[in-house]
Amino acid sequence: MKDKERILIVDDDLDFLKIIKIILENKGYEVDTAPSAGEGIARISELFYHAAILDISLPDADGTELLSKVLEIHPDIIAIMLTGHSSVHNAVQSLNRGAFAYLEKPVDTENLLSVIERGLEKQRLVLENRTLMEELEQRNKITNTLLNVSQAVSESLDLQNIIDSSLDKVAVYTGIEISFIYLFENDRLVLKGCHGLKPKEIALMAGEIPRDGNIVSWIFKQAKPIIIKEFSDTTDKSITFLKETGCRSFAGIPLSILSESIGVMGVAAKSVNHIIDSNMELLAGIGREISIAVRNAQLYEAASSAKALKELDNMRTEFLANVSHELRTPLAVIKGSANSLLQPDVIFDDSTRQYFLQSIDKDADTLTRLVDDLLMMSRLEAEALEVKRKSCRLCDVIESVKDRLDNLAVRHQLKMDIPGNLPAVNIDDIRIGQVLTNLVENAVKFSDDNTTILIKAGRSGNELIISVEDEGSGIAPELHEKIFERFFQGNGSKTGRRKGTGLGLAICRGIVEAHRGKIWVDSQVDKGTRFSFSLPVG
Amino acid sequence: MEKKRILVVDDDPAILRLLSTNLKARGYEVITATDGEEALEAVQKDFIDLIILDIMMPKLDGVQVCRRIREWSDIPIIILSARGDEHDKVNCLELGADDYLTKPFGIAELMARINTAFRHRGDAKVAPAQSSFTTDGLEINFAKRRVTVKGKEITLTPTEFSLLQQLAVNSDKVLTHSMLLHSVWGTEYSSEKEYLRVFVGRLRRKLEPDPKKPRYIHTIPGVGYHLVTS
Repeated sequence: MKDKERILIVDDDLDFLKIIKIILENKGYEVDTAPSAGEGIARISELFYHAAILDISLPDADGTELLSKVLEIHPDIIAIMLTGHSSVHNAVQSLNRGAFAYLEKPVDTENLLSVIERGLEKQRLVLENRTLMEELEQRNKITNTLLNVSQAVSESLDLQNIIDSSLDKVAVYTGIEISFIYLFENDRLVLKGCHGLKPKEIALMAGEIPRDGNIVSWIFKQAKPIIIKEFSDTTDKSITFLKETGCRSFAGIPLSILSESIGVMGVAAKSVNHIIDSNMELLAGIGREISIAVRNAQLYEAASSAKALKELDNMRTEFLANVSHELRTPLAVIKGSANSLLQPDVIFDDSTRQYFLQSIDKDADTLTRLVDDLLMMSRLEAEALEVKRKSCRLCDVIESVKDRLDNLAVRHQLKMDIPGNLPAVNIDDIRIGQVLTNLVENAVKFSDDNTTILIKAGRSGNELIISVEDEGSGIAPELHEKIFERFFQGNGSKTGRRKGTGLGLAICRGIVEAHRGKIWVDSQVDKGTRFSFSLPVG
Repeated sequence: MEKKRILVVDDDPAILRLLSTNLKARGYEVITATDGEEALEAVQKDFIDLIILDIMMPKLDGVQVCRRIREWSDIPIIILSARGDEHDKVNCLELGADDYLTKPFGIAELMARINTAFRHRGDAKVAPAQSSFTTDGLEINFAKRRVTVKGKEITLTPTEFSLLQQLAVNSDKVLTHSMLLHSVWGTEYSSEKEYLRVFVGRLRRKLEPDPKKPRYIHTIPGVGYHLVTS
């Protein structure tokens, strides 16, 4: 049943007050009376009245003034003025100021009742319209907010971006400053982000919450929201950290999509007013938008990682195919040569037999080197290469591989330009020696006999730059990056020479990068090539 | 008898020398090439009886060389590759190679395969009892090694011809996989079922009006093939 409508009668005629009160109460109204303007205002200030019957001439105030004050307090009130015959003029003035009607004394009660009923009827319509308008506005606000949230969270496929921007929007659109999100991962709820909390407050939160046992997991499992209007001593421990932050009320909103729970969003406010209560519908809507965006991001992540795994798998397959190819070539020479000697149908002369044996010997060496290179490569890729750093002078490193370099470049002119005043560097001398050897070996392979190969070093800022320069066939610009990839084989090698393992430059790069240096190439086709690498000083 | 001339193509000098030495010791004349372009030049310039071809080579790889040669020639091609997976093997056979050998290989095995290839060319002179075969538009002249479908001449490689001949001589009989492998390629091929699948496919593409619904060469799943006359 709807509440009784309340009417206030202000008149200094106490008998009149009594009679009218009885009549109106009989009609089902709740009635208060006041014998003076002052008392009338006092009552109206305290309570909402649907209608007020005001005597126009009161001892302590002019009726129209009283009307103005009343309307100021309750603009929607139905005010009915009672006038004496002489004060009709005043009554008309009252109508202009907002009174609903005036009645002349003595009052015809039937007439009074019908005027009151008409007035209240009009008021009901006005109030109803206003409620509808307010509801419409609220809906509008929710729709707009959700649209904004939806746009904001769907701008990204990055899970963290989505969570951060969602919580930001919760604060912007609801005014609720503190919020956080847990997502379900591997049988636990994992804290993914929060808003409005200081680092030391975040430290109080559980990073992970088991599937059972507290309020957050309950919201997750039941997929139902919870509102705690004011924290008490019995509040679940998992959210008591919010008390430390000065919060007094809390709501938890389940995040779910297609009836599958994916997480929980929590919000907390420092007041116990209606900020959370009144925003529950909006929060539920925001929760739905967040769920969609989160699920999209999760699906995208899953798809990308599947793709990355597939790429990794392809690379591994390709690597194995390459390794197998590289191993089979020297093996073919070894097996073929040995096999030739074993065939009963042909007897080879001495020098041919000698040649087969040499081939076996040489390709066994090639195989050994290949295995070493592969081992080195796999260590570099697993970042497991041991780099034994010690303070070294570059000239000592070069000296230690000098014999090997001279041997390699026996048909070339190997020149050095190493200033004596270079600072010592903290390096693994054996590995860096290997880089130099590999680079010189390459230079020999790709340049004609009797041309010059120059090893040069110098300081540039905080780095030593070491380079190996040849006058060979050069490298086309589009290959300048590719040559450092494993198993890349250059085509320009002089005919008749055995191929390398295709790992030399990849190993050089790995070793230099393990020293936090860089390696690069400058080259012009048919002019020559310069490989350089840098090593940090100090 | 004139020496057979073999072109050996490999970018690895040690392999080239190994093969040349062995082939020369067995009475073949050997020409070498170190990349695909050189190989194509040699095939155009000299009369070549057989090609031993590496796959991974600079400039033009073995697969491309094989495809190019097959556009105008049926010289037997034996692929000698360090890539051993089934996919590479089938791919090369589909493109028209006659045989595929994986490195490392035995000398005797290579020589046997060279002999098989020459046998397909008809050098073994094992002429069938009948001189020709005709059924429903397909005509085979065994002596002239000529094949026509509805009067139109079809060019077959020696291996393709050997397989067709075997099926035709035994028409309407089911020949098992191992029977065919044994008689067309040789005993050492008895487990190479994909050779058969690939070459039957090659024959169907050349002979059948609709290779997907073969009129002549029917498959008996799990057993073998037969050439159907009526």
